[in-house]
Amino acid sequence: MAEALSTDVREALLRATRAIFPHDDLPDEAYRKVVDALEADAQNDEDVRRTIEAGAAEIEHQVNPPSREEGSDLFKLIHASAVVELYDNPLVWKAFGYEGPSTHLGGYVDRGFNDLDWLPDPPIELDATAGSPRS
Amino acid sequence: MPRYRFDDEDVVVIVGSGAGGGTLANELCQQGVKVVVLEAGRHHAPDDFINDEWRSFKQLAWLDTRTTSGSFRVARDFPNLPAWICKTVGGTTVHWAGCCPRFMPHEFKTSTYYDGVECNMLDWPISYDDVAPYYDRAEEKIGITSTHGIPQLPANNNYKVFANGAQRVGYKRFHTGRYAVNPVPRDGRPASIQDGFSFQGDKTGAKWSTLVAELPKAARTGKLDLRPESHVIRIGHDDRGLVTGVTYIDGDGLEQFQRARIVAVAGNAIETPRLLLNSASSLFPDGLANSSDQVGRNYMRHLTASVYAIFDKPVRMYRGEPMAGHIEDEAPNNPERGFVGGYYLQLLSLGIPFMAAFMDPGGFGPEFTSAIEGYENMAGMWLVGEDMPQATNRVTLNHDVRDQYGQPVPNVHFDDHENDLTMREHAWSAGEALYQSVGAVRTIRTPPYPATHNIGTARMSTRPDDGVVNAFGQAHDVPNLFVSDASQFTTGAAANPTLTIVALAIRQAEYIVDQLKTNAIPTGRFAWDGRDPGGPAPVRPELTSAHGG
Repeated sequence: MAEALSTDVREALLRATRAIFPHDDLPDEAYRKVVDALEADAQNDEDVRRTIEAGAAEIEHQVNPPSREEGSDLFKLIHASAVVELYDNPLVWKAFGYEGPSTHLGGYVDRGFNDLDWLPDPPIELDATAGSPRS
Repeated sequence: MPRYRFDDEDVVVIVGSGAGGGTLANELCQQGVKVVVLEAGRHHAPDDFINDEWRSFKQLAWLDTRTTSGSFRVARDFPNLPAWICKTVGGTTVHWAGCCPRFMPHEFKTSTYYDGVECNMLDWPISYDDVAPYYDRAEEKIGITSTHGIPQLPANNNYKVFANGAQRVGYKRFHTGRYAVNPVPRDGRPASIQDGFSFQGDKTGAKWSTLVAELPKAARTGKLDLRPESHVIRIGHDDRGLVTGVTYIDGDGLEQFQRARIVAVAGNAIETPRLLLNSASSLFPDGLANSSDQVGRNYMRHLTASVYAIFDKPVRMYRGEPMAGHIEDEAPNNPERGFVGGYYLQLLSLGIPFMAAFMDPGGFGPEFTSAIEGYENMAGMWLVGEDMPQATNRVTLNHDVRDQYGQPVPNVHFDDHENDLTMREHAWSAGEALYQSVGAVRTIRTPPYPATHNIGTARMSTRPDDGVVNAFGQAHDVPNLFVSDASQFTTGAAANPTLTIVALAIRQAEYIVDQLKTNAIPTGRFAWDGRDPGGPAPVRPELTSAHGG
């Protein structure tokens, strides 16, 4: 198996990922999933390893470019990985109120698909007096 | 399930098993026609589907390499994924949500009704009245809410926000959708349990798809030979220009030739023109059925945009059918708004994984993360409207990039038309105003992402030099070749395309059966050079299980 990234590089990636996608309430564990994915990519692809190892020392000063396109190569690499890996995680879903898989629980038909109570119940059928949609 | 021999001269070969191909297959089988359906993707049973956005995407989406060019933002955000469609038995009906508005009458005649817009506009060779009886049959077949005595779906949380906003901004025509998910058990399929995963295939079967409805019905006739993992790379023809059959790569990577009486192409509006272009020959140097030079042109992908809004109280939009809400007030053609054509506002919910991917592609920092943190209090809508046909928006073959079979990949070139841009601005503003009227603390404009509505690349026309197929989807140049998906749409209308694809497939099947009865469609000539063509291997047991007998 190809060599892992050094502890220093992993730490730099973790801090950078947190700075690029800052969520104060998420534990490091959530961000470590992104670092693990980057490490796996580096172990499979020498170009990725070079980008990570060459950029890690500077990345903490490069976490806020004007746009993704203007980011450094490592910024783009972290962004692409994090936008998938960070948010593809039940721990993160729970933190932000998404319940994940539901079919095996019977869906939400008896578990609150219509439990919003801060607005009145609107009509569900077309108002027969609304007139024709046709121009 | 029968296995027809490779040299069977009577079979109708259908390329693709989605809304167009799957419906055409069933309609033909019901009339006793022998049908071979060649589907590039695998055959999954509904129980195999996954309640997880990324894992499901990898299971179902068409991920073969494609390239993009042009000024549309998708070329920057998703350069190898211009479309979000499926490679699986059932095609993109496995992924669709189920919104089923009909076209409006003027949308078949936009060249007549839309003034002052420069583009490659053409009236359809058929009118609303020609399609209306088939809309009726399609609605009954699919089981669309509020038609044929089928009730509306109930209001979910996201709809409550959407519809209250609609009322407050003065919209009159809104409801929980003309929707293809059962509110009550029907046609051997259950009622919705509001599980919120119909984009991921729908494990329950409450949603109509060709996978759970048309193909099993076709299989029960004993006439359907469904071959998954069969990727068609070329359509063959004889020296008179009549189609003889198709060459495909089977699941074992072997090249096969299937003889055909008729070939109907329904591979979605990127693969369909790609296949016609890739079938170029000395007789058809610019591609099969392309004497008009319209194959691949006029590619449309609908307006598309979304608005999400964050409130100070929970919404939990992900609970329930994700698109069961529909506002029609902006759909008519009202040029006083500064654009021709119109758009619908429709409910939309994504889970957190796809919200992160699509809400603001390329976004990061606190502006991005604070929106994700508002997910539980978020409501969402999709904006779908008519985009203009332009000759330069086009699917071509990219000979510099090859797929796993050595074939040139399709390149999708797209520039937004000025009318599209103006309509999108209007739609974004309308969506924001709606949410602000019910107290949104923040609204987010989401740009178009990979298209699920792909339209127009083999269009219908009255005259052979204006388009690729006639009023029944039959190629002007090749009488035993048909196009059966939204590629044949002359223009895109504002409506989601599936209902119209299904209606036209029912109509096309009727035409094909009539033409076969009177022998009005000529047969291509083909010689096997003395070798025994045999037939495909018997159906493997796991491929029959999803048909339910």
